[in-house]
Amino acid sequence: MSSPPPPLGNNGLLKNVHRFVAAVAVPLAAAALAAAARLLPQEATSGWLRDARPVHLFLAVFLPAAAATVYLLLRPRAVYLVDYACFRTAPNCRVPFSTFLEHAKQVPALNERSIRFMTKLLERSGLGEETCLPPAHHYIPTYKYCTLDAARGEVDLVVFGALDDLFAKTGLSPSAIDILVVNCSLFCPTPSFVDMIINRYKLRSDVRSVHLAGMGCSAGIVSVGLARSLLQVAPENSHALVVSTETITPNYYVGSERAMLLPNCLFRIGGAAALLSNSPSKARFRLKHVVRTLTGAQDSAYACVFQEEDDVGNVGINLSKDLMTIAGNALKANITAIGPLVLPASEQLMFAAAFIARKVLGGGRFRPYIPDFRTAFEHFCIHAGGRAVIDELQRSLGLSDEQVEASRMALHRFGNTSSSSLWYELAYIEAKGRMRRGDRVWMIGFGSGFKCNSAAWECIQPAANAEGPWATCIHRYPVDIPDVLKH
Amino acid sequence: MVYEQEEVLPGAVHGHRLSTVVPSSVTGEVDYALSDADLAFKLHYLRGVYYYPPGDVTRGITTKVIKDPMFPWLDDYFPVAGRVRRDAADVAAAGEGHPPRPYIKCNDCGVRIVEAKCDRDMAEWLRDEAPGRLSQLCYDKVLGPELFFSPLLYVQITNFKCGGLALGFSWAHLIGDVASAATCFNKWAQILSGKKPEPTVLTPENMPGHSPASATAPRSVKQVGPIEDHWIVPAGRDMACYSFHVTEPTLKKLQQQAAVATGTFELVAALMWQTVAKIRGGVETVTVVKNDAAARSGRALANEMKVGYAEASGSSPAKADVAELAALLAKGVVDETAAVAAFPGDVLVYGGAHLTLVDMEQVDVYGLEIRGQRPVHVEYGMDGVGEEGAVLVQPDADGRGRTVTAVLPRDEIESLRAALQDA
Repeated sequence: MSSPPPPLGNNGLLKNVHRFVAAVAVPLAAAALAAAARLLPQEATSGWLRDARPVHLFLAVFLPAAAATVYLLLRPRAVYLVDYACFRTAPNCRVPFSTFLEHAKQVPALNERSIRFMTKLLERSGLGEETCLPPAHHYIPTYKYCTLDAARGEVDLVVFGALDDLFAKTGLSPSAIDILVVNCSLFCPTPSFVDMIINRYKLRSDVRSVHLAGMGCSAGIVSVGLARSLLQVAPENSHALVVSTETITPNYYVGSERAMLLPNCLFRIGGAAALLSNSPSKARFRLKHVVRTLTGAQDSAYACVFQEEDDVGNVGINLSKDLMTIAGNALKANITAIGPLVLPASEQLMFAAAFIARKVLGGGRFRPYIPDFRTAFEHFCIHAGGRAVIDELQRSLGLSDEQVEASRMALHRFGNTSSSSLWYELAYIEAKGRMRRGDRVWMIGFGSGFKCNSAAWECIQPAANAEGPWATCIHRYPVDIPDVLKH
Repeated sequence: MVYEQEEVLPGAVHGHRLSTVVPSSVTGEVDYALSDADLAFKLHYLRGVYYYPPGDVTRGITTKVIKDPMFPWLDDYFPVAGRVRRDAADVAAAGEGHPPRPYIKCNDCGVRIVEAKCDRDMAEWLRDEAPGRLSQLCYDKVLGPELFFSPLLYVQITNFKCGGLALGFSWAHLIGDVASAATCFNKWAQILSGKKPEPTVLTPENMPGHSPASATAPRSVKQVGPIEDHWIVPAGRDMACYSFHVTEPTLKKLQQQAAVATGTFELVAALMWQTVAKIRGGVETVTVVKNDAAARSGRALANEMKVGYAEASGSSPAKADVAELAALLAKGVVDETAAVAAFPGDVLVYGGAHLTLVDMEQVDVYGLEIRGQRPVHVEYGMDGVGEEGAVLVQPDADGRGRTVTAVLPRDEIESLRAALQDA
């Protein structure tokens, strides 16, 4: 079913008028300039200008001007972030450690060993005592109540909560939304998330909507990239809604396979909605780059985060032991791609020089040069996939504790909220009042595939206040996260 | 996923769904010390049911309405959301060879909520006066065998076919006596109604007593155990709770028979003492547990009931005058509260050594108003009662009669019903 081409409307007509005017004006101006040059007194103009033929003069002015005009007209439009909102977790979804373990004990498949494993994992996970699970997960036994209805209920709670906040913040009417991109990896009902949102907020019938399923924890940046592409070919002053979430309700693993119990322990509810636009009015951030790196061509990377059935038939997500190595490699690939786009010339030269030196003089004598990304960005939002991920990235990028603080604290307060964790971290930095105009932010997401996706933003207008998911608790942060939590 | 439906006996309470409610904010690394008096009552469990009649107000009381105020409520009553632990540093106990002293670790583990249904009308249920109905409406778990994972409080929400609602509280006597429990529940209802309840006082901290303990148990209680980690002593016989109403005319008659003005508790308790003595024979001594509001310390959670015994000298209670027994209960109770607390062994207070008469006169059970709706009936029973049985005398709905719950061996209950009908 193809939709009718979008009506030209005022925007389309104006754009074509601009193009026509440019197409006519530039040659005329060039010709005028060429003619004027010939009419000037002899002393004012240099010899070759007088001697050159009119056609050559015309072309000499026209061609560069035309090239410049064509470049300006055809270059991709800038995309901006108007505002974003994260789901505010409510205390009635809170799950302290002891409750989580007590509930786990009631699952028949989990024996003493599994419980001990989960206990050790939780103690060292970096999660705090305020993280939240969906209402269905507060029942014993959990899996009995993880129905389709309950999953939809969680979407209602999380996605609509974030969207209500966003519409209130921006004052935008839902009927002004032109593009809607939602990513939720593990829950894909029919009708899809985008239809749920269209139904709830009464969006227009010509909204361009896409739901991205199965794309893992880095899908937030994939969504932003897709929204950007759509905005770049959309008429001026278009708005795109990007919703990133992960629905936990249907994904409780009921088996005892240790590698598959990890997600149960770390994933918590969360969601974020962001409003993007291709017009700078009221925008708070500018999206500078989106760089996606997919390493799925290698078998080990492809299989490292794998949804499968265990020996008994329970479905869960299996995390391989070399997850950190694979993540590290994906990160290196992503850095290599994004480095040239964001690093200052000095760093690029150093990197190139070290690279050449290693190639020419032998790899053993020179260590690979890690560019200092602190010269390219003021703030870092690293996917709060787990303590190990954040530690590893801090080490490999040479970041200070303050620079990874947003990630650590988001992990502590909200747990691993999958694709929306980057937005919670941005909200932390803003709630702390650390964002300034002109600051550059680097969002790094990791996820199954194995993907490493980056987005680079520049701040135009920091948040006016600490309203948002951190409002009630920011005064308590940062906290010292012990190596092993006592409980 | 489709699960098999459970077999449901007609009229039984079924469809139990368990969930947990935790405090809304992080309590932190806090331990709640248990006093000697607390530990004396650790083998007993209060079971209280509040009945709300069908109607528009009750229809609006959904599970969410019940659960939401519990989160801030548990912020104030965080020890109730904790779990029992044993003090590994209790060297003294290790030296003597018994398990270390228990305390409550306030780890926010939470309170268990049970949702259930009943296919009968509430009015019919109440009219039946079936013995053992209390155990259907209160989740009958105890502390242990896994102490570390045993909730201290269960709240059961039972929806009747007619729209009536029953709230059943299963409260471990360890953390507080019936007066503390009733106040605790009332505070939850106040939060539900949007009122700000009075602050919860949990100081001064409990300290283990230092008075010299005797080698033998006080007369009011019976020594049992030693108890390891399953804190229930199964009575040799099948015990059941039977609730019935003592009407105002009956009370007036009792009052007239007494020579001097006697308290209502004493009269009703004496009547029960005599009835049980007639059924069972003997029962020369009774244990008396009284709630003295004036003597309470003001701590929100405390076991401050007065425990003592009364001995009928001379004639057997079965033949004695109710008025005489009442006078004995009023004046002749030997107080052993301190001795019971100081005794180091495990004891059964209720129904252990003798039939136990419990005074709940000053406990405000009808104050648990939900959205302005008063309960139409409240009954408190107990689990973990010894074979000798217990009788709880509590206020009734209009305050003029009394509700009595007798916790007795099941075969004695039939006789009791018959005896009461004759009276």
